[in-house]
Amino acid sequence: MKRRHFLKELVAGAVASSVLKSSLAEAAFSAQTAQRYLRPPGALAEEEFESRCIRCGQCGEICPNRCIEYFDLENGIDSLNTPFIVPRTKACILCMKCGQVCPTGALKPLERTANDILTHVRMGRARVEESLCLSFQGKTCGVCYRACPLQDVAIRVGLLEQPHVLDGCVGCGLCERSCIQLPQAIKIIPNHIIKATAS
Amino acid sequence: MSAIRKPFFLWRHLNKLRWLVLSLIFMMLVFLPFVHVYQTYVASFSYDLLSENEKELFDIMAALTSPLTDNPADDLDAIKGNTWSGNFFGYQISDPLAVVGQVAAGLSVYWPFVLTALLPVIFTLLFGRFFCGWICPATFLYELNTIVSLSLQRAGIKVGQRRFDRRLKYLVLVIGLIISAISGSVLISVIYPPAIIGRELYFGIALGGVGAGLVFFVLTLLFDLFVSRRGFCRYVCPGGALYSLLGRFRLFRIRRIVENCNDCAKCNAVCEFALDPLHDDFGQECNNCTACIAVCPTDAMTFVIRPVDEPNQGPGHLGKKYKRQQQQKG
Repeated sequence: MKRRHFLKELVAGAVASSVLKSSLAEAAFSAQTAQRYLRPPGALAEEEFESRCIRCGQCGEICPNRCIEYFDLENGIDSLNTPFIVPRTKACILCMKCGQVCPTGALKPLERTANDILTHVRMGRARVEESLCLSFQGKTCGVCYRACPLQDVAIRVGLLEQPHVLDGCVGCGLCERSCIQLPQAIKIIPNHIIKATAS
Repeated sequence: MSAIRKPFFLWRHLNKLRWLVLSLIFMMLVFLPFVHVYQTYVASFSYDLLSENEKELFDIMAALTSPLTDNPADDLDAIKGNTWSGNFFGYQISDPLAVVGQVAAGLSVYWPFVLTALLPVIFTLLFGRFFCGWICPATFLYELNTIVSLSLQRAGIKVGQRRFDRRLKYLVLVIGLIISAISGSVLISVIYPPAIIGRELYFGIALGGVGAGLVFFVLTLLFDLFVSRRGFCRYVCPGGALYSLLGRFRLFRIRRIVENCNDCAKCNAVCEFALDPLHDDFGQECNNCTACIAVCPTDAMTFVIRPVDEPNQGPGHLGKKYKRQQQQKG
């Protein structure tokens, strides 16, 4: 992966210095990591995912919830036509069909069992914005907890149904989808952003 | 002198079969996104929430699929995908270019995926570049485009007839793979029309919007119309290049029967890939589309089983040139 970065920068640099402006080359060769999108469940790490995914579109075509969308050019040319999920629009229901149909293993083939999902799926992690959350404002809500498919593993509620995200959260986004606040008080922080900020 | 041979009478009709297969596959690619949309309606038990149009779609799809299955949400998953990579009753089939592109992008080999291209590769070793003529959904549109170009020509509008070097597409293949390797992303799928068609049809029908791929494809159609007839397949397509290389020593190939040939050159005129059947130069790029067999007025084209082309057999025995040669000898 180191070598590839070097090659990328080499090419980007060469292009920038010769023909194009550097900003254009940067847009073409680097993804905007700030964009908040999730990869479908069981996806490999971002860079590996992009090299594995052949953009056949089968994951979206099998999704019973039609929550998988495809990038155009907005996330850089490297992610052109790759699948993503915006949980606030439509969240993943963890049916695991997309991984089973993926021909390249860019999405790992997993069974729909708690064990497989908890060990292999990490789309992101939910984060509660306490200043927006109704329960933290004293108005008992608890919708996110009710929407969670992994109750008491991924999220638990305390006093006044105040949500607390646990380590079991896989980032499916059903809590963010169902949050009745606008803007939503619970958000999934995608795995690639967590990793980028951690390193 | 060897006996004059007649080609098997059915070969002449293979071109009609080919059009049937091409249209069926294209219709399948249009149909599958609708199937998926229907499945999502079934899975969400949302019939009462659908709009009028959606209800109509639901009813049509229910009528079509109810004889086959009573559990459409799961059972209709049996056929998914497109010609780039698809799932057919649990058997994954992928385009060899997808495998090559993925290996280049990942710089690693994932064997379960490589094996999905086994069936197409075997067929290509036997039948050559058959995918380009018999399966490719882009070919279907490009051949319709050729018909448009002919009618434009008849209406007096100038269409493109330029010719380039056919080896250009091998360069496109190599450069595409190098770009995939450098970017670490299977970018070769972005310039490959059958993959684009499969995706964009799905985007357009099921997701309600098309992407940059469609713009690229329309540009290739315009290129074919106004620069070079069938130019993309002939000179640019990286998949065509890969299939040509794999099909170089194909077993089933078309051969000219020189005794029946009258040098009319209709085969050369009709050849979509600008090959030279009249001088026995089929080469690795023939896709066995059988258009030349169908058009030949004297039954001089047939299929043979052999791994190489006949060397140039000279002028056809029914032609003037051959008669002149014989007179000079005699």
